[in-house]
Amino acid sequence: MPGALDGVRILDLTWGAAGALGVLLLAEQGADTIKVEPPGGDPFRGYDGYRVWTRSRRSVQVDLKADAGRDAFHRLVETADVLVESFRPGVMDRLGVGYEACAATNPRLVYCSVPAYPAGHRLADRPGYDALVQASSGQQWEQPGWRPGPIFLAMPMPSMGTIYLVASGVLAALLARETTGRGQHVRTSLLQGVFLYTTQIWQHAERGDAAYYGLMAKTHPPGVHQPMIFECAGREYLHVSVMSGKAPTKTLDEILGVEALPAEQLEGLLPLQQQNLMNERRRDAIRARRRDELLAELIANNHIAEPVVTPEEQFAHPQLVANGMVATVNDPEVGATTQVGVPIHLLSTPGAITGPQPPVGAHDAEIWGELGCDGGEIALITGRAARATAAGRA
Amino acid sequence: MQALEGLRLLDFGQYLAGPFGPMILGDLGMEVIKVEPVAGDGMRMAGAPFLGCQRGKRDLALNVKDPAGRELALRLVATADVVHHNMTKGTAARLGLDYEACRAVKPDLVYCNTYAYGLDGPLSEFGGLDPLYQASAGLEYEAGAVPHGHDPLYYRYGMVDTSNAMLSVVGVLAALYHRARAGEGQELWTSLLDGGAVFASDVFLGPDGTPTFRPKLDAEQHGFDPGYRLYETDDGWIQVAAFRDDDWSRLCAATGVDAGLDRTAAAPLLEAAFRTKTAVMWSHTLDDAGVPNEIAVDVKGGEGALYDADAERLGLVAEYEHPLLGTLRQFGNTVDFSETPGQIAGPPPRVGEDTKAILEELGCSEPEMDDLKAAGVVTWPDEDYPWRW
Repeated sequence: MPGALDGVRILDLTWGAAGALGVLLLAEQGADTIKVEPPGGDPFRGYDGYRVWTRSRRSVQVDLKADAGRDAFHRLVETADVLVESFRPGVMDRLGVGYEACAATNPRLVYCSVPAYPAGHRLADRPGYDALVQASSGQQWEQPGWRPGPIFLAMPMPSMGTIYLVASGVLAALLARETTGRGQHVRTSLLQGVFLYTTQIWQHAERGDAAYYGLMAKTHPPGVHQPMIFECAGREYLHVSVMSGKAPTKTLDEILGVEALPAEQLEGLLPLQQQNLMNERRRDAIRARRRDELLAELIANNHIAEPVVTPEEQFAHPQLVANGMVATVNDPEVGATTQVGVPIHLLSTPGAITGPQPPVGAHDAEIWGELGCDGGEIALITGRAARATAAGRA
Repeated sequence: MQALEGLRLLDFGQYLAGPFGPMILGDLGMEVIKVEPVAGDGMRMAGAPFLGCQRGKRDLALNVKDPAGRELALRLVATADVVHHNMTKGTAARLGLDYEACRAVKPDLVYCNTYAYGLDGPLSEFGGLDPLYQASAGLEYEAGAVPHGHDPLYYRYGMVDTSNAMLSVVGVLAALYHRARAGEGQELWTSLLDGGAVFASDVFLGPDGTPTFRPKLDAEQHGFDPGYRLYETDDGWIQVAAFRDDDWSRLCAATGVDAGLDRTAAAPLLEAAFRTKTAVMWSHTLDDAGVPNEIAVDVKGGEGALYDADAERLGLVAEYEHPLLGTLRQFGNTVDFSETPGQIAGPPPRVGEDTKAILEELGCSEPEMDDLKAAGVVTWPDEDYPWRW
């Protein structure tokens, strides 16, 4: 069955996590996605994880600095519905493939720009690696860790927020096009991706009181959830939830054999010393338990908890498997790989992984050929002719 | 015109992974009606986290467990394009508000349920909160640098909730686009578990089950390697991104470290060098040398970000008057559109802020409304509404 975005053609000119993964969300709902790379390929291809982020699309090379490449690119733009690019503001304009130029070629084009910082921002011309945006936005100082000072976020949080802004911005513009008949320029940035994930903690209220700011305030340990990480036997960790959506048949203390409080006492209202004592008893009890056995007993009693695992261990999660989120992808260079699946589940028009990361320029002949280019022209468009000349000179 | 103008969404969700997505759709121009229990969303007591996912919505306080309330809910569904919620599996069916019941009154409806775990499977009947899925995806293990002897670490941003909500935004928009072209609605779902997995989606296993290389956080939570990490200076911290080999050579030249050393051996020399000057001085030095860098800014609970002049000028922050909190400032536009600009419609509503207006649209008379309120089926803010955000 065709996906929800069947018949939509996307040109993906992005480099890095935010654009690649944002486009992936659209590609795997059925969009015909073409990765448009510079001669020799996107420099981020050296990163292993990029195999996942840039799967389900075809690849062409184009030398946008050459007239033949730029002209051919505009012919490709004529066939497209969406273009996504992640260069610093102004770079695409200088190449003659900015929003104005592409909209002139194809007024129905949805043109999405996703730089690190928005055009007009004082940092717009600076490098935009994820960790630099973590630093400049203040995100690192907001995360408590095991020492004072800012903490490096091991997961690229600005980029991981921005993926959703790319996908939702493009789709909103496609929906608007159904009414207006025209495309438009959609712009977001890694900085806006930062703001997306600060909703719970970055707010200011004129008359906000302690309760307004309290729950998610910056504390050591961080927030209300860190104390529910427990160490089990053998230095395995378990994150226990305070709610499961079900009525527990035993309390946590009953399961642990910890002396419970009289039912009429609310633990949160006890003196802090006493609360700490309760928690210490639980910690001691859990440190003596095997993680898998404790987890099974918690679940049997309608509690919920998750083992703290390594990222690669997530593929063994039985519910992730049940969700169809553990997929096999046959990569032409690596072989049969296990990757995450499609995380948006449309029941009538289900999404699908349509293929591995394509080798650089794997579809040069196919796609440029569809536009009527012959072999000599394709060599000029893809920069192959120029490289051959340069090699000859050398 | 706004991008999603003319579309109506009913948000039956509570807490975060339900309501956040509809709020973002509202920012893009959709009309969002929060259908809230008369006793209030379970997260209202939380303050800032609640208010961070409710702006721009109209609010109908309605007891959908009451037969009269359910009947009103379905009358409203008949006027809607999207129904969205994060109830646990089976709850919507018990309330008579599942996809089948809603589709009966609105055949081309888009219906979205954001779960903790998923539609079917061994844990699908459980609810859960964001931190569990920071655990299940390996995020807490990596953030804590557990292999170096530390405990796992919770990311204070609670971003798995948000990402589940954003998956639903993308899914709803894809389903609406399909509906616009094919004329048919559908049911869709997302989950916290899957949302967590997206954060770790650069992990994959080779044919023999071996994971491929990923950078690992160092013991001091500085970063991934001496070229891509935080350094402490004389007066603060600076993030360096000398990713490429030429950047690394320039970093060594600028700091007086022998570029011939391997990166591990160079690290303590770089640490010592950075401590000799202030962060601003180092940033200028590195800029001149062409090394990507940025000073790590302390925005002190967000104030530095929310009152930043560029952020204000570019619409990255929004400000509105809240009836109880006074001036309320939050993040602003997350996406900008050249032809269909977004508009943040207003502050988070109080419980039942728009109950009367919405009931009137459904054809209820004033006496009927009063009867419904007396029976506890609906409510709206009275003169003495002081007790909830």
